[in-house]
Amino acid sequence: MNGFSEFLELHPLFSWLYELLKSTGLQDPWLRVTHYSILGSMMFGVLSLIALFLVWWERKIAAHIQQRFGPMRHGWHGWYQTIMDAIKLLQKEDVKIALRDKPVFFWAPIVCFVAAFCVYVVMPFGEGLIVADLNIGILYVLAITTWTVISLLMAGWGSNNKYALLGGMRSAAQIVSYEVPMAVSILTPILFVGSLSMNDIVLSQTGPIYNWFVFRLPFGPIAFLTFIIAGTAEANRTPFDIPEAEQELVSGYNVEYSGMKFAMFFLAEFVNMFTIAAVAVTVFFGGWNGFQFLPSWLWFLGKTLLIVLLLMLFRWTYPRLRVDQLMMFAWKFLVPVTFVNLIIAGLFKHLGWYW
Amino acid sequence: MGVIKDLKNLIAGLGITGKHLGTHAITVQYPEQRDKIPERSRGIVVLLSDKETGELNCTACQLCMRACPTGAIVVEFERDENKRKVLTNFTLDNTICCFCGLCEESCNFSALKLAQKYEFSTIGKEELVWDMHKLQEVGRDVPYEDKRKKKKAAPKKPTPKPTEKKPEEEKKPQQTKEEVEAQAEKKAKPVDKPVDKMEPKPEPEKEKPATEDNQPGEKPKAGEEPTEQTGGKTEQAGDDSKDDTKKEGSD
Amino acid sequence: MALRTEEFVVNMGPHHPSTHGVCRLVLTLDGERVKKVEPVIGYLHRSIEKICENRTYPQCIPMFDRIEYVTSMSCNQVFAMAAERLAEIEVPERAEYLRVIMLELNRIASHLLFYGVTAMDIGAYTPFLYGLRERELIIDLFEMTCGQRLTYNYIRIGGVSHDIPPEFVPKCREAMRIIGQKMADYEGLLNENPIWLARTKDIGILRAEDAIAWGVSGPVLRASGVKHDLRKDDPYSIYDRFDFEIPVQKNGDTFDRYIQRLDEIRESIKIVNQALNGLEGVEDDKIKAKVSPNFKPPAGEAYARIENSRGELGTYLISDGTKKPLRVKTRGGSYNQLQALPLMCHDVLVADLVAIFATLDVIMPEVDR
Repeated sequence: MNGFSEFLELHPLFSWLYELLKSTGLQDPWLRVTHYSILGSMMFGVLSLIALFLVWWERKIAAHIQQRFGPMRHGWHGWYQTIMDAIKLLQKEDVKIALRDKPVFFWAPIVCFVAAFCVYVVMPFGEGLIVADLNIGILYVLAITTWTVISLLMAGWGSNNKYALLGGMRSAAQIVSYEVPMAVSILTPILFVGSLSMNDIVLSQTGPIYNWFVFRLPFGPIAFLTFIIAGTAEANRTPFDIPEAEQELVSGYNVEYSGMKFAMFFLAEFVNMFTIAAVAVTVFFGGWNGFQFLPSWLWFLGKTLLIVLLLMLFRWTYPRLRVDQLMMFAWKFLVPVTFVNLIIAGLFKHLGWYW
Repeated sequence: MGVIKDLKNLIAGLGITGKHLGTHAITVQYPEQRDKIPERSRGIVVLLSDKETGELNCTACQLCMRACPTGAIVVEFERDENKRKVLTNFTLDNTICCFCGLCEESCNFSALKLAQKYEFSTIGKEELVWDMHKLQEVGRDVPYEDKRKKKKAAPKKPTPKPTEKKPEEEKKPQQTKEEVEAQAEKKAKPVDKPVDKMEPKPEPEKEKPATEDNQPGEKPKAGEEPTEQTGGKTEQAGDDSKDDTKKEGSD
Repeated sequence: MALRTEEFVVNMGPHHPSTHGVCRLVLTLDGERVKKVEPVIGYLHRSIEKICENRTYPQCIPMFDRIEYVTSMSCNQVFAMAAERLAEIEVPERAEYLRVIMLELNRIASHLLFYGVTAMDIGAYTPFLYGLRERELIIDLFEMTCGQRLTYNYIRIGGVSHDIPPEFVPKCREAMRIIGQKMADYEGLLNENPIWLARTKDIGILRAEDAIAWGVSGPVLRASGVKHDLRKDDPYSIYDRFDFEIPVQKNGDTFDRYIQRLDEIRESIKIVNQALNGLEGVEDDKIKAKVSPNFKPPAGEAYARIENSRGELGTYLISDGTKKPLRVKTRGGSYNQLQALPLMCHDVLVADLVAIFATLDVIMPEVDR
């Protein structure tokens, strides 16, 4: 059993690739550049597939919650429906409204798309499965996820549409506010790790299951809850999907986009959701730590998908908050709670009451 | 404490949706599976034919035309030598039909019915104006209860005017049988082969002598073309016209 | 330096997901705050009243179906009642029972739709499907009886068009039981949900005196605390035979208007069950009084009003003794409720406006006609 799961581990692939490149006689700056670009492209491909899968999965989950079938036509239970959708969107006309702000309108979906994928440079998918183990890993994640706000603002501004502008402004206010509780709730586990590197965070949770931060009472679960709430807001999902609130702003910031540009926003949204879940797993659920019988990357993927399922259930259960209530909730509830939690955690750390 | 109560309620909500996650879907996959439609369901208007002779039941009394609130039905007739009404054309404009069923209720001769059929979407608007041949063809397999038989049987008893009736009865088959045959041929073709626009063209010419005398002008031509094109479609193609007819206007 | 700000005007509609048809609201916004709302109507005007002047009386009923397509039965009923008053036709008892059953079923169906779309407008997607799921049971009953799912043309002058099929009664009882059960799910999803409460409590308050002054009727009026229901106050048909309550709320906010509808569903289920029991006691099989196809009421005028799921629905008929009415006038509850919208939307946010508009349950064809 052990041998089998070790056989399935993917990290030897990384070192094998490095050796292969080295044997071609490349020297160091170029060697590293090539190595990272290959890894990056691999990551990009995998994530695109994950995003496509998530779109399909969300549609299926929603359908089953609502006692429908969802996509059923393409393949078994419509498994390649989203691929067909993507092909359709690629063929569609890219409608450009006349009074747009040309460069801003053009770059917004690209910025959104790139930002969504950049996060995964530091994400430990499995044991040794990390593109670059930056020593400021988690800070990098927080910084890059905030990029999204720029792209949404750009989309809102560039569209020259009142609804889009309202959506962009809402998203700016929302993401900037929720950045604070999110960062502070991540800070709580960091306190115990003593390092910002994603790999170190995971390694500090090895061992028995109660080493996962979410089980470190009393501050662990609270930090996780606040993180997942702030993360939902960060990923613009219901109940915090006010930037694109369909019933109020029609579709918010992406109302003027069509074809592949819209698809880029759409895919980025799902990648963002996956990011939130992945960070939650890395920081609170022990990352790729698991039991022996499965390889580490499968543990990571499985846990992440469970969190994603939770996010999807949120979406299909709850009504949407109002914009002022959203801000109130962030600043008057989440921020104090996370700070108090941080202080409690610090106290426990100081007194040594932790395992 | 308020926070804990709110959290509890939020989780209860998740429980309800989670509970449904495991249940089976209650919808059907439309073109493959279909819901059973109740007997009384009002779909498209069809003309009914006599079960034995295969001729139309319509007597061109125009009651349906008068009952129709939208003016979708146009009944044309001419008088033969005995001053009896002979149906020459029955046009139904499906684009303005509101499926209220008043025509069916007004008819005393079981000549038309709102059948349980709802798939008749087409590409063009003009293809939805159906003439009597098309309506008869669509209505051939529609089961119905013949109100007319009783009525016909009743006047037959006294039999004082056999002379008057005979020519009328002879006349009618003569006029319609040709059409019926032409229809039967037409019907056979689209079912066997996929719809072919080129092939049925010679047929209208066969038929023309019968109809053209009665109706010079555009109407028969305009009416005939869609007959051939949509004949196969309504039976084979699974269009998504169900929503159009059944849930019209819901938003 | 102070930032210069200015109000900007947004056209919400005629094509907008939450205006329930083609209503256009001209909003003057200060950021997200609504400073002024101006409903612009007429996008769905089909001049049904004028069309009816050129139709015979039986032909008017399919037209009336389209006035308010969510509760077509009550539109049929109100026209039939007005015509019956003109011609002084006595409706058979069985037909009266059938009418009450259909009207109440249609009220339930309408309120279930309301539950769905309101939840949808406030951002919860799933309740919409749940509401429609149970509505489908009722729609199936209608289709079984009269053959149509939306525009029924069922209640006619002097009675109803079809008797119910034999399997109707057990299916109807079963549907009522299921809906009664599923109410727990509906309430569990929204009633206690803190997000829902935050979005609906104390939003868009319509005080009782304002509601009366603006001619608001139906559930919106009762949510404001005025106990007024034509089924009790001006009993038509055979509503005086049934035992039911008129639920009333206190505050007149969005939440009360929502809860009012759920309460009314319960009362309607009671009425349907009683009517089904009563129907068994009727021995006469007659479902339609004798009405000539060329229905010609004597010259005169009549007004009939009933309690619709959207308030008071009235029809005023003037006859000059011919086959066609001289004048048809309809009064729909939605029109008055839409009038009251600017009053309730003082200094609210756009999201609240959507919620308020949803709970008014305005249906545009009834406003424009």
